[in-house]
Amino acid sequence: MTSTATTVQADQADVSTKPPAPPRSHSLLLSARQFGTFIGLVVLCGTLWILTPHFLTVSNLLNVAEQTSINAVVAVGMTFVILSAGIDLSVGSMVALAGVVLGTALQAGEPLVAALLLSIATGLACGLANGLLVSWGGLPPFIVTLGTMSIARGAALLFTEGRPVSGFDASFRTLATGRAGFVPAPVIAMIAVYLAAHFVLTRTTFGRYVYAIGGNEEATRLSGVAVRFHKTMIYGVSGLTSALAAVILTARLNSAQPIAGMMYELDAIAATVIGGTSLMGGEGTLGGTLVGALIMGVLRNGLNLLGVSSFLQQIVIGGVIVVAVLLDTLLKRKNRG
Amino acid sequence: MAKGFPFVSSCLRGCLCIIVTTVPVFALSCNRETASTGAGKPTVALVLKTLNHPFFVDMRRGAQEAADRLGVALQVQAAEREIDVEKQMQIVENLIQTGIQALCITPSGSREIVSVLVKARDAKVPIVVVDTRLDGKAAADAGVQPATFIGSDNYQGGKLAGEYLIRASGGTARVAILEGIPGHETGDSRLRGFRDAVKGMPGMSIVASQPANWERDQGFNVFQNMLQAHADIDSVFACSDLMALGAIEAIAAAGKTGRIRVVGFDALDDAKKAIAAGTMAASVAQFPSEMGRVAVESAVKVIKGETVPPDVNVKLELVTKDNVK
Repeated sequence: MTSTATTVQADQADVSTKPPAPPRSHSLLLSARQFGTFIGLVVLCGTLWILTPHFLTVSNLLNVAEQTSINAVVAVGMTFVILSAGIDLSVGSMVALAGVVLGTALQAGEPLVAALLLSIATGLACGLANGLLVSWGGLPPFIVTLGTMSIARGAALLFTEGRPVSGFDASFRTLATGRAGFVPAPVIAMIAVYLAAHFVLTRTTFGRYVYAIGGNEEATRLSGVAVRFHKTMIYGVSGLTSALAAVILTARLNSAQPIAGMMYELDAIAATVIGGTSLMGGEGTLGGTLVGALIMGVLRNGLNLLGVSSFLQQIVIGGVIVVAVLLDTLLKRKNRG
Repeated sequence: MAKGFPFVSSCLRGCLCIIVTTVPVFALSCNRETASTGAGKPTVALVLKTLNHPFFVDMRRGAQEAADRLGVALQVQAAEREIDVEKQMQIVENLIQTGIQALCITPSGSREIVSVLVKARDAKVPIVVVDTRLDGKAAADAGVQPATFIGSDNYQGGKLAGEYLIRASGGTARVAILEGIPGHETGDSRLRGFRDAVKGMPGMSIVASQPANWERDQGFNVFQNMLQAHADIDSVFACSDLMALGAIEAIAAAGKTGRIRVVGFDALDDAKKAIAAGTMAASVAQFPSEMGRVAVESAVKVIKGETVPPDVNVKLELVTKDNVK
């Protein structure tokens, strides 16, 4: 394990010394490493197609995409954080807090745009606070975000006195119920977030620094990169995507619940690692994360369609997570050995 | 540093991923509870809040018995956690895709679930609401009209508990209340019923009222804290038995067993044992298996085009030491 980590770091140090250089296989959304996961998704879909006539229909596939959108958007920020060798446990609570801020603002009669900006600012502020504590405070991300997880959840409950804020007007709900052609709005939002984030990650210096910091933070710092600043921004991205997910969730439920988003951190981490991002940092792509989120969504959907007991579903999903990461680790060891 | 065989490695990874993702699905498909395409039999779906609570396990049993008797296929699904209404929505969306003929549901959120019931309505799937009512305004705004509601009157149940406590204490008591998750229709109704029952009695004072979120361990902790603040508490009303059982443990830990009257709700097996043993005074019994049975029967009637009453009240009963079985 240790030797693997060292190799990753040494490998990434090369990249970090010339930050603007593109990643190894930048031209494709799915790099070779994620290609296997993608095949896994295709075959999973094929299997379900054989097993149930209800799976491969346009309405069901859109259904899956819509259900996946929230986890997929949260997982974007999680991917940034994990690529930088960090972790963010507070995403679920940030979803709840940004959601209740949005809901309360809408109910107070604020215009839609103002309410959305307020909610996004809330998520961003929480994320940046995480980032400041991790980078300038020098605290482990696990501890900082564990704290924020509890603080943001408590704040959401306090703010609403524990009660859901519900009933919004139709213009806001279009964000979840609207369709462009036949594609549901949350799916369009998800695609837009992925395209934007993919651009940032592969075409900007900030994106390169995310990989560099995760690969070898010390080397990155020594080569003159403002590591603390960029780390803060990375956690900010996670807060931002959590707030975007909160907007979709609130519109979908027609309600902002202070207890919403529990365990979202685990789903987002699962999507990220199934998608091939290394928990050690420095390796992974957003395309992989999207495929990871879709695998989880398709599995849940398929198991529902098949009428598999909900207890067995949990076992299957847990098993897929563990085995996917196990394979990843084994293959890496094999390649390097 | 051999990143040497990216193609080979990716193929290998691909093959392995295929195995990982498809084997469990294949294996489980042989193990599914009901065939979703159920050879000609109409399929009724029962979506519960969760299956890790005895209440809903009983409800499923009643529903399954009715389904077997009436010759319909029953699909039972539930979210992992009781409060996860988003997951419950996903389950309903997925079930609609399988072409179910009727949907019985215990809503995890009486307002939130309405958004997905709109989809059921659009797919022409009749809806039977069980145990927890839909929010009247939210349902009306969205144009969702369930075929029927089957449940116990939680307000009456709360009242029953309050009246019992007045009788048992002779009209003078210092009462602590353990509430469910705030904003939850079921708990709020029980609470309202209880408060209305004791309101007119000057001797009954409510000294503390806090949520313990339906959970046993939280019931323990919250009540322990209440005892610290108010050592003179002599009666507890918990909006569910799990919280009541937690409180009983806290009472035992404080060495006050037998000196504090505990009244719960649901009459779970553990609660009945506690009542028989004398550590708990009473519990309001609901009959979840009865709810499950009536839900499936009503769903089948609706499928056949028969009329059903808009509201079916399932009886409630106060269980005390005198009638505990």
